[in-house]
Amino acid sequence: MEIDPLPNGSGSNAATSPETAATTTAITVASNTAPSSKLSHLTESLKLEHQFLRVPFEHFKKTIRTNHRTVEKEVSAVISSVTDVADSDEISKDDAILSLTSLVSRLQGIKRKLEEGSHAENLQAHRCRARLDHLDSADAENLSEWNNVRLKRILVDYMSRMSYYDSAMKLAESSNIQELVDIDVFQEAKKVIDGLRNQEVGPALAWCADNKSRLKKSKSKFEFQLRLQEFIELVRAENYMRAISYARRYLSPWGATHLKELQRVMATLAVRSHTECAKYQVLFEPKQWDFLVDQFKQEFCRLYGMTLEPLLNIYLQAGLSALKTPYCYEDDCTKEDPLSQDSFRKLAMPLPYSKQHHSKLVCYITKELMDTENPPQVLPNGYVYSTKALKEMAEKNNGKITCPRTGLVCSYSDLVKAYIS
Amino acid sequence: MKKFHTSVGLLPNCSHVYAFRDSLSLSLSLASLPFRDSCALTSLLRFSLFQFRSQICKRLAETANQRSQEIVDQVGHEIEQALAKIKAINDPLSPVHLKSILSELKLKLNTVGPLNLLEGLQKERNINFSKYPKLLEKSFNPDISKAYRNVDFDFHLVNQIVANHFYQQGLFDLGDCLIDEAGEPEAIAIRSHFLEMYQVLEALKVKNLGPALNWITLNREKLNQNGSMLELKLHRLQFVEIVKKGTKADALSYARTHLAPFASLHMNEFQKLVVCIIWVGKLDSCPHAELMAPTHWEEFTQEIIKQFCSLVGQSYWSPLSVAVAAGIEGLPTLLKLANVMAAKRQEWQEMKQLPVPVELGKELQFHSIFVCPVSRDQGSEENPPMLMPCLHVLCNQSIMKLSKNTSRTFKCPYCPTEASAAQCRQLHF
Repeated sequence: MEIDPLPNGSGSNAATSPETAATTTAITVASNTAPSSKLSHLTESLKLEHQFLRVPFEHFKKTIRTNHRTVEKEVSAVISSVTDVADSDEISKDDAILSLTSLVSRLQGIKRKLEEGSHAENLQAHRCRARLDHLDSADAENLSEWNNVRLKRILVDYMSRMSYYDSAMKLAESSNIQELVDIDVFQEAKKVIDGLRNQEVGPALAWCADNKSRLKKSKSKFEFQLRLQEFIELVRAENYMRAISYARRYLSPWGATHLKELQRVMATLAVRSHTECAKYQVLFEPKQWDFLVDQFKQEFCRLYGMTLEPLLNIYLQAGLSALKTPYCYEDDCTKEDPLSQDSFRKLAMPLPYSKQHHSKLVCYITKELMDTENPPQVLPNGYVYSTKALKEMAEKNNGKITCPRTGLVCSYSDLVKAYIS
Repeated sequence: MKKFHTSVGLLPNCSHVYAFRDSLSLSLSLASLPFRDSCALTSLLRFSLFQFRSQICKRLAETANQRSQEIVDQVGHEIEQALAKIKAINDPLSPVHLKSILSELKLKLNTVGPLNLLEGLQKERNINFSKYPKLLEKSFNPDISKAYRNVDFDFHLVNQIVANHFYQQGLFDLGDCLIDEAGEPEAIAIRSHFLEMYQVLEALKVKNLGPALNWITLNREKLNQNGSMLELKLHRLQFVEIVKKGTKADALSYARTHLAPFASLHMNEFQKLVVCIIWVGKLDSCPHAELMAPTHWEEFTQEIIKQFCSLVGQSYWSPLSVAVAAGIEGLPTLLKLANVMAAKRQEWQEMKQLPVPVELGKELQFHSIFVCPVSRDQGSEENPPMLMPCLHVLCNQSIMKLSKNTSRTFKCPYCPTEASAAQCRQLHF
C-alpha cells in the first residue's frame, strides 16, 4: 500500500504522523530550553557542515577546469591548423579555402561547447548557492524542520556511499533535497571502484588524468601504484617483454621519488608470480586490488574535502558514546533509549561509556529531569521521584503516595526533599 | 572594524556612531542580505559566505561565458576575413599572394593570443575562488572524522537500523528498496507492526475510526494496564462527530451503547459528554464547546501512536533520529577531545569511558546518573547513593571513607551536621 510518506514542512494535517511528530521534538532540543542555548547549539552543529559546502564547490571548480581544458585544446588545435596551413609550401587556393572553412565551423562547434559548458557550470554554481542559502536558513524558528532535513541528508550520504543509489535518489526526490546531496559525486567514484574490483585500472587512470594537477599538488602516488599493479599483472601473465617496455614508459618517471618501491616491484620480474618468497608473494595477491580501492577512496575523499567514513557512522558513534551508560544494557531500560534496542547495543559495544561530572536524575514516573525547579523527593523506602509526579499523585489520591516500583503506600507528608547538586 | 567600513564605503565620521552590531547590519543590508537575529550562522560568517556567493552568482558566470565567446569570435573573425580575401583573389593565384594572406592570418592570431586570453580568464576566476576553501577551513571543522573510532561498525546492523527508521516514518517503499539494494534479510516483524499502525493512521486522517477501534479492542487489556484512556477517547471522538452532524436519537443510542461502559470509571467525562446531546443542532451554545475542538483528533493520533509503539516495544521517536541527534549535540565536544588527544591514538581507541562529559539536552537524558560530589564516582550497585540525615547525598564509598569505616560520626561536607554511617539510607532513582 503506497502511503504518502512525508507531509510538507508546515504540517497542516490534523492527524500528524510520528514522522512529523518526530521532526517536531525528537531531533531538536526540548522546547523548555532557553532559545539562546538552542541557537548556540545549532551554531555549533553548523560548524560540522564543512563537507556540505566543500563538495559542490570542488565539483564546480572541476567542471570549470574540465571545460577550460577542452576549449583550450580545441582552440589550440585550430591555431596550429592555421599555422600548418600558413607554413605549408605547396598549398592550392582551394585547399586553403577548404581548411579555413572547416576551421570556422570547428570554431562554431567550440562556441556551442562553451555554451553547454557554461550551462553545466551554472548548475554547479546554483547548487553551491543553494547550499549557502540552506545553511543561512537555519534558525531558532524552523529548528525541527532543518534538523529533519539534516537527518535526511545524512541518510542520503550513507546510502550513496554504500552504492544504494536507488534508495538514495528516492529519498532525495521525495524530500526535494536533490540540491543538498551529492549522489552524483559518489556515482563517479563508483565507476572507478567497480573497475578496480574487476581488476581494471582503466577508469582509475582516467580519473588520475582528470585530476592530474591536484593529485600532483598533494604529492599523491596513487597513479604510480596503479601503474605498478598493471606491471605486476603483466608479470603474472608472463608477458615479460611488454612488462619491461611498460615499466620503461610508465614507471621510470616515478623512479626519482619512489625508487625503493619501484625496485621492489621490478624484482618480481625475476621471481615471477608463483614465487614462494613471502616478500614478493604478497605483491601478487588479489588483496592488492582491495588496497588500491582503499587508496582510491582516500584520494577521492581528500580531493573533495569529504570524510572517508559515512556521516551517519560518524554521528552514530558520537551519539551512542554520549548516550551509553551501564543502565542501558539492563533489562528494564526504557524503550525511549535507543540503546534498549539490540542492534544499537551491538553497535555500541566497542564504544566508550559516557561520563558525567554532575548528577543528572530522571524521574521514573514522568521521565523528566529532577532539578532545582522539580526537586527529587525520597519515600520512606528510599525510592526517589520528582516533586511534580508525587504532587500530582497525592492530589489524585487524597494525599496518598503509592510507590510504582515497590507498592509501598505512604502520605505526601512522609516525603523528604533530597539535596543533590 | 575598519576593514568593514572601508570595504562597504561607510563615511568615516560615522564610524564612531555605529556599534559593531549595527555596522554589521548595515554592511549586510548593503550586500542585500536581511539581518536576521535568529539566524544560526554568526553574522561575520554570513557576511563572508555571502561575499563568496556573489562570486558564484549568475551574472559573473554569464560575463565569463560572454568573454570566452568573444575570444573565440575574434579568432573566427580573423579566419573569416582571411577566407574572404582568398576568395576575392580573381586571377590565377601566385602562391606568394596566398602565402602572404595566410602569414598575415597567422600573425594576427598570434597578436590576438586567444590561448593567453583564455588562460587569463581562467586565472581570474581561480583567484576569485581561491579564498573560499580557506574560509571554509577556518570557519568550519574541516575534518569531523577525527573523533571516529576504527572499531567494528557492522554495516548490516546500520542498514537494518536505517530500514527500520524508514518503516517507522511510514516510508515503506523506501525501506523495502533499501533492504533490496543492500541485500539484507528482511526485518519482517517491525515492518508489519508499523504498516498496521499507518493503516490505522490513514483511516484516522479521514475520520474513520474503524481500524483504530479494532486495534484498541484487540489490545484492550494491555492498554488498561498502561493506564491509557484510549478507548474512551475514541468513543468520545465518534460521539462528538455524531453530536455535530447527526440527530439527538443517534447521539443518545451511541451514548447508551458505547459511552455507558465508561460511566462508572470516568463519571465526570461521561456526564459532560451526555449533556451535549441537549445541544445537538445548536452547538454554539453548548457549554462544553472544547470537546468539539478538532485538536482532539490530533491528540488522539499522538496517543494511539504512543500506545502502539509502547505495545510493540518500540520508542515513540525513531531511535535512529534520537541517536543522531545525540551525535550532533555531542560531536563538537568529542572533536575537541580528539584534538587534545591527537598524539595518543591508542588511548583514544581503547578507552572504556569518555574522560570528559558530553552535555546533552534534557530530552536525551534517559537514565538517572548519580555523581558523588566528593569522589566524582558514578553511583552503581556496588556503590549506591546514600541519603544522610541532613538530606545531602553522597556515594557509599565516600561515606565509608569519611567515617573511616567505623561507627563514629563524621561531618557532612556541605553542612555542619554530624552523622554516622548507620544513619544513612540507600536511595533508588
